[in-house]
Amino acid sequence: MADPHKPVSPPSPEAPNPDTDAYAHEAELEAHLQTKRMYVNMGPSHPATHGTVRLKVELEGENIAEIDCEIGFLHRGFQKSCENVTWTQCLPYTDRLNYVSAMMNNFGFLNAVEKLIGLEIPERAQYIRVIGSELHRIHDHLTCVAATGMELGGFAPFLFGVEARELIMDRVAELTGARLTTNFGRIGGMNRDLPEGWSEKVIKSLDKVMSLVDEMDGLLTRNRIFVDRTKDTGIISAEDAIDYGWTGPCLRACGIDYDVRKAKPYWVYDRMDFDVPIGEKGDNYDRYLMRIEEMKQSDRIIRQALKQIPAGPIILDDWRIALPPKPEVYGTIEGVISHFKLVMEGVQVPAGEVYDATEAANGELGWYMVSDGSGRPYKVHVRAPGYPILSAVPHIIKGKLLADLIPTFDTINMIGGEVEQ
Amino acid sequence: MKRTLTMLFWFGVMFAHFVGIMALAYALGGLVEGVLPGGSRLTNLAILMVAVVMGIASLLTVAERKWSSLMQNRIGPNRARINLPILKDSALVGIPHFLADGMKMLFKEDFLPATANKLLYNLGPMLAFAPVFALYAVVPSGPTVQVFGHTVDMVVATPDFGLLYVFAIASLAVYGTSLAGWSSNNKFALLGGVRAASQMISYEVALGLSLVGLMMAFSTVQLPAFVGNVTNELGLGNAATGQARYLWEGKIGGFDIGLPAWGFLLQPLGFFLFFAAAFAETKRAPFDTPEGESEIIGYFVEYSGMKFGLFMISEFVEIVVLSGLIVVLFFGGYHLPFGGEWLSNLALMREHGWLYGTILGTVFWAKVMFFVWLQLAIRWTFPRFRYDQIQSLGWKILLPIGLFNVFATGALVLWDPSLRALAVFGLLQIGLLIALTTSSALKSEEGHGGHGHGHDAHGHDAHGHGLPAHGHAAHADTHSGAHSGAAAASH
Repeated sequence: MADPHKPVSPPSPEAPNPDTDAYAHEAELEAHLQTKRMYVNMGPSHPATHGTVRLKVELEGENIAEIDCEIGFLHRGFQKSCENVTWTQCLPYTDRLNYVSAMMNNFGFLNAVEKLIGLEIPERAQYIRVIGSELHRIHDHLTCVAATGMELGGFAPFLFGVEARELIMDRVAELTGARLTTNFGRIGGMNRDLPEGWSEKVIKSLDKVMSLVDEMDGLLTRNRIFVDRTKDTGIISAEDAIDYGWTGPCLRACGIDYDVRKAKPYWVYDRMDFDVPIGEKGDNYDRYLMRIEEMKQSDRIIRQALKQIPAGPIILDDWRIALPPKPEVYGTIEGVISHFKLVMEGVQVPAGEVYDATEAANGELGWYMVSDGSGRPYKVHVRAPGYPILSAVPHIIKGKLLADLIPTFDTINMIGGEVEQ
Repeated sequence: MKRTLTMLFWFGVMFAHFVGIMALAYALGGLVEGVLPGGSRLTNLAILMVAVVMGIASLLTVAERKWSSLMQNRIGPNRARINLPILKDSALVGIPHFLADGMKMLFKEDFLPATANKLLYNLGPMLAFAPVFALYAVVPSGPTVQVFGHTVDMVVATPDFGLLYVFAIASLAVYGTSLAGWSSNNKFALLGGVRAASQMISYEVALGLSLVGLMMAFSTVQLPAFVGNVTNELGLGNAATGQARYLWEGKIGGFDIGLPAWGFLLQPLGFFLFFAAAFAETKRAPFDTPEGESEIIGYFVEYSGMKFGLFMISEFVEIVVLSGLIVVLFFGGYHLPFGGEWLSNLALMREHGWLYGTILGTVFWAKVMFFVWLQLAIRWTFPRFRYDQIQSLGWKILLPIGLFNVFATGALVLWDPSLRALAVFGLLQIGLLIALTTSSALKSEEGHGGHGHGHDAHGHDAHGHGLPAHGHAAHADTHSGAHSGAAAASH
């Protein structure tokens, strides 16, 4: 349509004369109001963007006409950094990928390296990894649910979630020595055993955590406003989710039954009795329910693992892989040499490449690694589960209301650290 | 236990203040009336609006944080302290915080965005604050009594158009917010301003309609007439009027007891509509989309210092004013639910009118504080509505119910002018509401174990799980059809 503000000139003699004809401008009356699109930058620092992501939103009224997610504000050069350090020294970098569930990154990385070397770690170490992973899965889901509650305006569930997280962090600190950046485990096993009396403390904390989860559940799940905000918003079909490469609870919310722990069990997950919740619609509400239910399942897994965990070594007794015990280092020449070579040159990983994946809190955490046979990685690529999920946000939210962006962005649980690496 | 005792102590302090302020207001009103007839209205303005409403509103900033901390297992504000020797450096339950906040806001830079429209930008906070503050002028906070031989009433203004003044002034507040959103030349603020304008204008309709039934029942629009007076108040021999009237009454000795004609009993639907609509007018959660701090940050995003403070404090003033209006319109104003006649005819009360006024004034503020508390509890319980959900609630639910209420009330008032039929209808509504609430609560408990996400069904070892691998495979076949809930767990 021509610019309505511009007078048509010169007026043609056939055109109806508005002075005499009341219906002369009828077409203009029926025409839609000309609106201008509004460009809004949400982020990089915005209350609803966890981490730093910039959403360039083009608004038509309150509807999102176009949206572009721009990442990279948190880019720290993870892959390149890994190439310059030994395999063991990569471990602290993996903490900073998904900083809400650092242990899962640690163990996923270690699992891939061990697969590349061809190691089978001791059973006790496998149990410890399962326990640590599930603790951090609860931790991650708590963060997601709590943040969803807060950003939809319910501050109480957020604080319940934070209180529960605090309990888990206390236990994690006792286990690993750090609250957030755990740097836990070593190639070939674990660097520390479970502390004395830790299991009982975990059970006690889990009781409290699950009661807090129930409280959040009670505040949100049947809350009419919360259901209205999340149900039928942010829908993605199962086909689209697969096309985008979704995994984890977000994919399962669409009704696809895929969980690496069940599909390709690693460590001792095949001995655990747990269920994988499946959603139906793939909307925000289902993704939220997945989180709540998975926390309950993780709670079951931890309780079983703590019951079943056998005694025994926690790391391989192979001085080419694991550091020798301190008396050996100080007392024997072989010990000193192995220690020196491991620290200075790193674990000698045979040349080759590997892809390995574990089920992290947000989905399949995949590692593609290439070794040239030296002590340092030739290439470490991490397939962060949040990356494909974030890439589907424009597809989900285009044409929807601006207010729907908030729960959608919350329930996909994009973690800046792993997406932007 | 210590927490409970502390709370009780501060409740005591609060009521002592109310008693003191009301006694002062009556005494001062009596004195001024002797010098300047009609001057008690001015002292009411100073005491009720400036001291009490502003005082409560500024203390509410602390009360809200304290109450939310109690709801959320936190300690709450306790850092601002005044180190006086007698106080032993105690936190005074956080009360010094409102002083600290006020100081902070006054000393902050008064920032003006370079591209903002200066006049409108400065006008915004004033226009947001002044109307809500002015609303309180028509709310009667205590009975009319004789003090030092002069008639003193506890209200600033009694215009003939009473409630219409409330509607008119309440709708002015929208200018402040939308101007603030527009003039600060910020897209987020503009979105907030537009949301605020549309929300407040659409809820005006439901707000007005919700009170029509009440106006018909009491056939007045004047707020003091809604409150009314008890039979033979202070021995003046009047008949009972307004909400102080009993629908059914009995006497135990000299003590009168019965079912008062409170607006809540006559108009429960009207009450809920008014409460919801007025809550939406205050723009607080769950109706806080104009602010929506996680989406668009709010119409006042560009404001700093005391200009922002005015927006914030106007919300709290609105809470107090709204509670006052609810009490006056629906909960008998300053009257006791029963025993009012007995109290007003005690020899002591007849002799000392100010004492009667002080007692009833304290009753009024106690009721107001209950509704203030209720609003805080609601604000900290619910998540935020979506913008279009607020609109559909207002236009598709509140408006039709309001219309129905008007017709039902009109018919019942015509049929039975004594209002007893209306009261029976109201009681039925309340009963229905309680029944619905409890039944849905029961249903949700059952439903929780049955479907939904079905966690109760397999939380126990006794349930007999199959082998994990087998159970998992079996699930893949069944999950599409078998689960009725939104999400279900496999076996």
